[in-house]
Amino acid sequence: MEREVSGAGSSPPASAVSSAGAFTTVDAIVVAILVVAGIFDWLSGNPIHSTLLFAAAVALSWDAFARRRSGELEVAAEPSPVARAVANRVPIPAALLGALAFSVVVGGFGRYSWPATVSVLVPCAFALVLAWRRPDETASGPEPFDLRGAVPWFSIVVAAGLFELTNLFLQPSMKTDSYAHPTFSVMTDPVLASHPGRSVVLILWLALGWFLMRR
Amino acid sequence: MSSHDVTLAIYSALAVAVVGVELRSRKPGSRIPSLGRAFSRMMRTRSGRVGIVAGWVWLGLHFFAR
Repeated sequence: MEREVSGAGSSPPASAVSSAGAFTTVDAIVVAILVVAGIFDWLSGNPIHSTLLFAAAVALSWDAFARRRSGELEVAAEPSPVARAVANRVPIPAALLGALAFSVVVGGFGRYSWPATVSVLVPCAFALVLAWRRPDETASGPEPFDLRGAVPWFSIVVAAGLFELTNLFLQPSMKTDSYAHPTFSVMTDPVLASHPGRSVVLILWLALGWFLMRR
Repeated sequence: MSSHDVTLAIYSALAVAVVGVELRSRKPGSRIPSLGRAFSRMMRTRSGRVGIVAGWVWLGLHFFAR
């Protein structure tokens, strides 16, 4: 059950979003997934990455409870002019060139190095801010579909998650890779060992981010 | 067939399943939403957007960052 949203173009501003103010089922599911993923990432020896997942869960929980406590209709923040420009008006060739340059340059940095870390954090921070500040979709949003139709997607996600978890538990330890039971991350290690491989993965990652932010 | 091969085969099967479901979703009259439509639906709310973008951010950090 998702929170109610006001219709676009009605008396409130187009960006105004009414909220039931409660911790919705969607909120609960998303927070639960973030927490579980954070726990396993922590157990796998990635406390910094898991902190990000915990932070997102805490931020969403705080946001939901703040809405409930205020008991008022929420008015979603207007995205900044820069964010709007980037989301809607950046010419595709310019975005492609920027992504290509980013991938080539950052792909040259070693994995887990500080230059790579700082470089990757830039688009990450930008995407998180955009996602947080974007107004909730209104009546002009995508056509709803029968949720039962999404069962195949849900099944694939659950199967992939369980299989990844199985391989993780079949490793000699949570922090030791296994050739016999490689996780997805372990399988990508040979690709990410070279500069061209890292650049290709980076551009695919950026493309995925672009695809998501345009939804 | 070694455990390694079986693991690779299962990952490949999952990838094929993604492609298959996406192709099926694009058939006229299909009840299955395309991946893009499903993401559009999930990105409607702040919790959905932040959850999905956090997943994308985590991927980038996991593969490249300390």
